[in-house]
Amino acid sequence: MKQSGTSALLQGAVQDLASGVASALRGGGHPSREPLDAPLRPTGDLDLAAARVLGADLLLPGVLDHTPPPGARELDLARRAFDAYPPPATAAPTVAWSHWALGRALHRVTGPSGTAPAPGRVPEPGPEPDASWLTGAPWPSLTHHLAVLAPLALPVEDCALTRVARGRTLDVARGFVRAVRRRDWYQAAGAGRWLTVLPDVPHTLGLPGGLDFVELMGGGDSRVLLQVRAARLIGSGVTV
Amino acid sequence: MTAADVRRTATADARETAAVDKGPAAPPDVRRTVRAVQEAALGWLSRNRAHFALGDDALARDGRVDGSWKPLGELAQVCATLSVRTPASDPLHACVRDLLAFAWRQTGEGALFLEVQRAEPFATYPLEVYAAFASAGLRHPGYERAAATVAATRGWRLTEQLPTRRLGVLCAERQIGLRRDDNEPELLARTWLGGLPEPWTFERASGYALTHVVFHLTDWGRGGPGLPPALADHLAHWVPAWLVTCLEGGLWDLACEVAAVAAGVPAAGTDATFEAELAGAWARIAAVQFASGALPEEDGRFAAEVPREETVPRRDGAPASGESGFRLCYHSTLMAAFAAGLTLARWDDPRGAQPPSSPAPGAHHGGMPLTHRARRDAPVGTRTPHRTTGGTG
Repeated sequence: MKQSGTSALLQGAVQDLASGVASALRGGGHPSREPLDAPLRPTGDLDLAAARVLGADLLLPGVLDHTPPPGARELDLARRAFDAYPPPATAAPTVAWSHWALGRALHRVTGPSGTAPAPGRVPEPGPEPDASWLTGAPWPSLTHHLAVLAPLALPVEDCALTRVARGRTLDVARGFVRAVRRRDWYQAAGAGRWLTVLPDVPHTLGLPGGLDFVELMGGGDSRVLLQVRAARLIGSGVTV
Repeated sequence: MTAADVRRTATADARETAAVDKGPAAPPDVRRTVRAVQEAALGWLSRNRAHFALGDDALARDGRVDGSWKPLGELAQVCATLSVRTPASDPLHACVRDLLAFAWRQTGEGALFLEVQRAEPFATYPLEVYAAFASAGLRHPGYERAAATVAATRGWRLTEQLPTRRLGVLCAERQIGLRRDDNEPELLARTWLGGLPEPWTFERASGYALTHVVFHLTDWGRGGPGLPPALADHLAHWVPAWLVTCLEGGLWDLACEVAAVAAGVPAAGTDATFEAELAGAWARIAAVQFASGALPEEDGRFAAEVPREETVPRRDGAPASGESGFRLCYHSTLMAAFAAGLTLARWDDPRGAQPPSSPAPGAHHGGMPLTHRARRDAPVGTRTPHRTTGGTG
């Protein structure tokens, strides 16, 4: 299906942002590959929208240890996206959680032990959204939603959502299998990342090989690549 | 209840089954859906049983086994199991015994197996087909003596086959009391399922391989030594994902085979998701079953491979009239009846997946995964050609 012009532009902007983060996760410099003291180029609506799509993962290199800190551009984008898109009370749960996760990441990287290049701490994002909707979700739906919220799959993250996920490891593993079977590489990569932080993953799943396979088949999509690299880093024991 | 009613009920049931807590149980309406699928499938098979009849080419040196002995053997295999897993008081029991008797008559009550063996003494498929009948008590002593003579040779034992197929032949031999010293655990480990593959590598071909390994180990749901613990665990973990993706992909034939496998996984090792997916699968299967009772093999095959007017069976419930239509849906319809019977048996039996003639539960989980103590027969295969010993030529 032919995409509309705006949609294609947005997807391109998201790919650019994700590519920078994926590169940084592999040690390829901070996401934007621009000097920290470089003047910020103007930020358009498209950039903000792309930052909203990528969410907290825009700051992932600054959240995980042993990865480059976020660039000034990413931090600026993240702050502005957080302020520009407050979820309405009627927002879908994934939208609310995504926004909360972005606030959480901003709080982390701007805190005393954070890696933000500029001062100005961002406060805690406020109370957690409700996670009960996910408790009884069928496993395919659970996996779909968790993949969308993969930025919350972090080593020490403890929130209502991660607590639900920790109780459903086998279902997420099944979701990973289903996603690979369906050639839904983005969902597979997100589920794979979650599995690196969940307990008691069946060893027969073969997650490391599965991540390699997802990268092989779907790594041309920067968002997939980002999740696979994040999963490998987290799986290797990197902490926040 | 009309077919539309069944489908509406099934859809509602699928939602309800999400609330299944634990163990092999299902709401009554889901059971009715499964039963309706089975009754319709067996009805279609009965009305179209003439298509299973052996033709003149069944004994021809260059005859097409896949179009003669294979379907007949599959009919026998399924009916042999359903006759065991269905109470004698159930009208379906008489139905499957009648089909079995029909199939046995097609073989000249076993005499044709001798003739086939004379033409192809080292072909394995006659023994595999015969074993299905033998498991139901339909035996021909003369053929069994002849088969024993051939099976005693080194050449027979050295027949080159894929591991899954080899397991099938070993099962057939045991079914009629032939023994040999093949290292079955080693053989099992070389199958796709026995090697405990990464579950995300599942594809159509590996799917059929895995279902047949399970059918061999469980004597097609009639007993057998059962599943080794590691295999049972592997299946308990990953069958839900395999089953759902087969259903989502419109692979109805394979989905039914996987459902039959699911019905044989010991319930003690499964969880709520596993049981809910097995129950939920039937709503989808019921939804694609034709009013005639036939089940399409997979989405798109009718339109792609046969002329529109030969899209058999028609939705008006008319029985299949063309050979091509029969070939496109007979196997999936057999598998629907088979899987439905095993699913109902799982829910009927408080022990879950234990067939009536199987050993005590502990015997399934202790010691070597395969023993020579239990009697088993051989499957007749599905998507894999039978002719593996040089054929008839």
